[in-house]
Amino acid sequence: MTSNRSSRLEALGAFLPPTVQSTPDLVAQVTGVPGLDLQGITGVAERRVYDARPAAHEDSYGLALKAARDCLEKSRYEAADLDVIINASITRFKDGSDFYFEPSFARQLAAELGARSAIHFDISNACAGMMTGVYLLDRMVRAGIVRTGMVVSGEQNTRVAETAAAEITDSYDPQFASLSVGDAAVAVIIDESRDEADRIHYVDLMTCSEYSHLCLGMPSDRTEGIALYTDNKQMHKRDRLRLWPTFHADLLAKHGRTFADEGFDYVVQHQVGTRFVEYVNAMAATEFETPMPQSLSVVEEFGNTSSNSHFLVLRQHLRAGTARQGRKYLLVPAASGVVTGALSATISSLGV
Amino acid sequence: MSMVVKAARTVRPLPSDDAASSVRLASRAARDCLAEAGLSPDSVGVLINVGVYRESNTFEPAVAALVQKEVGINLDYLASPMPVAGFSFDLMNGACGVLNALQVAHALLETGSTERVLITAADAHPGGRAADDDAYPYADFGGALLLERAAEPGYGFGPVLLRSGGGPAGTRGYLNTAAMGTGGRGMITVERDTDRVETLLGLAADAVDEYAAAERLDLDRTLLLCTRAAPDFADRLTRRLGLHPGSVLAPTAEGADGEPHTAAPIAGYLRARHGGLPAGKDHLLLVTAGAGPSAACVSYRPRDW
Repeated sequence: MTSNRSSRLEALGAFLPPTVQSTPDLVAQVTGVPGLDLQGITGVAERRVYDARPAAHEDSYGLALKAARDCLEKSRYEAADLDVIINASITRFKDGSDFYFEPSFARQLAAELGARSAIHFDISNACAGMMTGVYLLDRMVRAGIVRTGMVVSGEQNTRVAETAAAEITDSYDPQFASLSVGDAAVAVIIDESRDEADRIHYVDLMTCSEYSHLCLGMPSDRTEGIALYTDNKQMHKRDRLRLWPTFHADLLAKHGRTFADEGFDYVVQHQVGTRFVEYVNAMAATEFETPMPQSLSVVEEFGNTSSNSHFLVLRQHLRAGTARQGRKYLLVPAASGVVTGALSATISSLGV
Repeated sequence: MSMVVKAARTVRPLPSDDAASSVRLASRAARDCLAEAGLSPDSVGVLINVGVYRESNTFEPAVAALVQKEVGINLDYLASPMPVAGFSFDLMNGACGVLNALQVAHALLETGSTERVLITAADAHPGGRAADDDAYPYADFGGALLLERAAEPGYGFGPVLLRSGGGPAGTRGYLNTAAMGTGGRGMITVERDTDRVETLLGLAADAVDEYAAAERLDLDRTLLLCTRAAPDFADRLTRRLGLHPGSVLAPTAEGADGEPHTAAPIAGYLRARHGGLPAGKDHLLLVTAGAGPSAACVSYRPRDW
């Protein structure tokens, strides 16, 4: 039934809006909570924010298009070579402030990039969006349905920060987590792996739906804007965070392996905040009874860029040389749903 | 490997529902499918929700996660004495979502990623009643398809073909957040170009011809079930393809006001399943066409109908 095909991460592109917003600048807008120590709580020092002028093309779609083009520049492939394009944006702003439900962003990106015959669809899976797209593309490559495809996500996340800044009245407000987000777009091209040293070894995901109501995004009914309401206390309870190591350990046990056997060089957690990353890694070390590999982050500089955060971390560290090719990476999603899982890949010739 | 339908259902809001909800519609259709198949929620490994319009214009989490909870699939992996890791996500591609999901489901079953895939397709006006918004063309309507590997080759779904045209999208569904005030949870705009139907007819006809040639599908032995992009869409597609009258059907939303949207192919499958195949026909072809402009088709060869 299953072929011997595997997939790999072939190219990684991104676009970061040039406008930097410092955390003190954002805090100054949160008039309902004087003296808020946002940087102390989240570890986020600054984030990129979109330019609202139409000519900047920095709505969710415009950001995604810029990242897709950057990715193609880093790739061996042309747009016409792509068999599938999957868009994974949570925020779906196009033509300025219109939040789109149809047509799919993927369809429009395919047309604009010149991938005219590509299969196209959008994925929405909160902060696990790109990971879900990679999971599906991996399966489509392995099933022989496609050979090459792109997963892309452009996020105008700071729209929810604007609403939160206008509406929050204390640091326990359900919109508090919205203050840690940043805008970014990332795209990744995946193709068939010919070499075990350049391969997605596995990507498996799980949704524990009992907690699906803990983080809800929708238009605000208090001011004109979109909002994200998160029960942080329940969302980040130890039992929620133990879902990943339990699921991952069970997955490995089916093949007679342990976390320590995997020999990961790096781990990339979802970029919720610096304390979150430290806490999850410490908890996992206890659960797996082994030290965690080197943890990579960019949350201090870019905030939580939601559906594309793991791939932004990869891109930034590979470009800076603070993470190396030829090494084994573990990416761990933590998303509304709640979604967790593991992506294990050896990255050896990833164009960045 | 081929993939077959284990169970299929469509649903309308209940008279007792004070507002239509895509989560409730999808969940009811999904539960009905599981009951029909005699299977437990844990038998579903992956749930794909393809609905486009949803209550309150909710954009996080995936609607699929909320449906998964209502259906009772993998509620809490840690708390379950016999944990089974279910996974869910939303897949959106306008009217073609179910067919994209069939393609993805094939990949998941082919690679042994799961034993069963459940597709849900439910649309509800964000404000809760499609009939109250004259400018909104769709019905509050949902469906579900439960899929598994075929026990023997030669039956079930063929490959999915998706084709898109150039030019404008034809249909645009969006929330104008710059003009929503504090009422954005209940508003939606659906704009449709006047030449949209003609474009979709051409695109759908070309997709069907290409599919028939590539898959050696004899259209004279095939019942086509298509999107109801206009009231006379089926008749016009019949003429465009040069088929005998009655060869193409476009199911309605079973009495609900408006067009069936993402659930249309499920309604089409059920129309054929319950109405039976006309004499001389032994295949179905599900055809969707909508925003993009995009059209898609997939064949299905039933067994023991």
